[in-house]
Amino acid sequence: MRQESKWEPKLVGFLCKWCSYAGADLAGTSRKKYPANIRIIKVPCSGRVDPLFILKALRLGFDGVLVSGCHPGECHYQTGNYRARRRITITKKFLEYMGVKPQRIQASWVSASEGGKFAEVVTEVTKELKEIGPNQLFTEQRQGHGTKATA
Amino acid sequence: MEQRLRHEAKSLLEQGKVDYIIGFEQGSLKFTTTPLITRDKDDIDRLVINPFIVNNLSVFLTEVKGRVGIVAKGCDSRSIVSLIQDNKVARENVVILGIPCPGLIDLKKIEQLVSKDRDELGDITRGGDKVVITVGGEKKEFPATEVLFDDCLSCEYPTPQEYDILLGEPSSLVCDKELSQSKIKQLEDMPPEQRWEFWEQQFSRCIRCYACRQVCPACFCQRCFVEESEPQWVSLVPQWQDNLMFQVTRIIHVAGRCTDCGECERACPVGIPLRSLTKKMEDLIDELFNYKAGMDKEAAPLMTAYEYEEAEDLIR
Repeated sequence: MRQESKWEPKLVGFLCKWCSYAGADLAGTSRKKYPANIRIIKVPCSGRVDPLFILKALRLGFDGVLVSGCHPGECHYQTGNYRARRRITITKKFLEYMGVKPQRIQASWVSASEGGKFAEVVTEVTKELKEIGPNQLFTEQRQGHGTKATA
Repeated sequence: MEQRLRHEAKSLLEQGKVDYIIGFEQGSLKFTTTPLITRDKDDIDRLVINPFIVNNLSVFLTEVKGRVGIVAKGCDSRSIVSLIQDNKVARENVVILGIPCPGLIDLKKIEQLVSKDRDELGDITRGGDKVVITVGGEKKEFPATEVLFDDCLSCEYPTPQEYDILLGEPSSLVCDKELSQSKIKQLEDMPPEQRWEFWEQQFSRCIRCYACRQVCPACFCQRCFVEESEPQWVSLVPQWQDNLMFQVTRIIHVAGRCTDCGECERACPVGIPLRSLTKKMEDLIDELFNYKAGMDKEAAPLMTAYEYEEAEDLIR
């Protein structure tokens, strides 16, 4: 018998190896609870995250993307997070213009000592993603699909 | 202007100041021009300046070795500055022959106005703010605003900002800011689902010929992400999802280098309104980071510059 499963958002997290990944580790070792909706990918720096990664994640059907790095001024490579900030802001605003809900692209600064903040961020982001529903951008079952849009 | 250009180009070659001249010559079809890249001074008399010099020649700068004299309109000069900012071209290796651009003629608009194919037209001449079209011996006059490209009508800098030789007086073309915003406004007024639907429809026509990428002076990567196979970012099958992903990523990648010259839209064989994307991107970076592409050759490129505090409201 097939069981009706409740939809849970899938979130991919690109975490900087120096701060946020260690922050996530700390959240674990200090037994902080956060939703298991996040799949973590470790990156050397938040500046490594190409807007292409974000689009690819959405194309693959992830409901949201979280990019997390060191606080401004604390980047291991001095300026990586500043560059990430520009890229992600542009990506988010631009995709919003194209019709992607802005909640799907998220960013945060989490240091290695902020296990609590990491748990909070994931909880909040997961809650927001639950509110906006599944990502059907690249599917044919999308609401309003097939209607004539002209401009 | 044409005579002056030939004179300057010839003396540049003769004096050995440049190895190559990049300009326009008459195209094989009526009312077209084609790029002319030459190191032979006998070819110089083929150079032309007319209302059909649409191509952004700066795309060839990264392909030609040595010192280059290049013909540049306002938009092209911004692309050249942007290449200098990115260290793709050294300023001392380019001699910019600037053309104060009066705006270029959109043949598609003319074809619609007179409901004739371009082969049936006798002649098209520009005089001041009027364009005279000869159809079957009969002369018809139209205001220039009706037949110029939309991106020319909404051009903010028709006169080159950076040049070595300016071939004429600064252009008197007036920028119609509302025109450039009208299409963006139309899209922004739609609900997000409908906007996405609009772009799905546009990109389902894309045949992924990559013409947009090839004509783009800002797209200078040796290897484009679409050609990477390990991992394969984008499927090679031209389905709308991957077409959209390719174009959106491309436009984000060229943010801060794209000067909204409109070459991608002109090159597109299926007529996808790409300027509705590039123009928006230009506005976005101006609004967020107070940055305009290709204006200052000394400025750090958008993606390497930063302020300690900016755009923090979007980050948790």
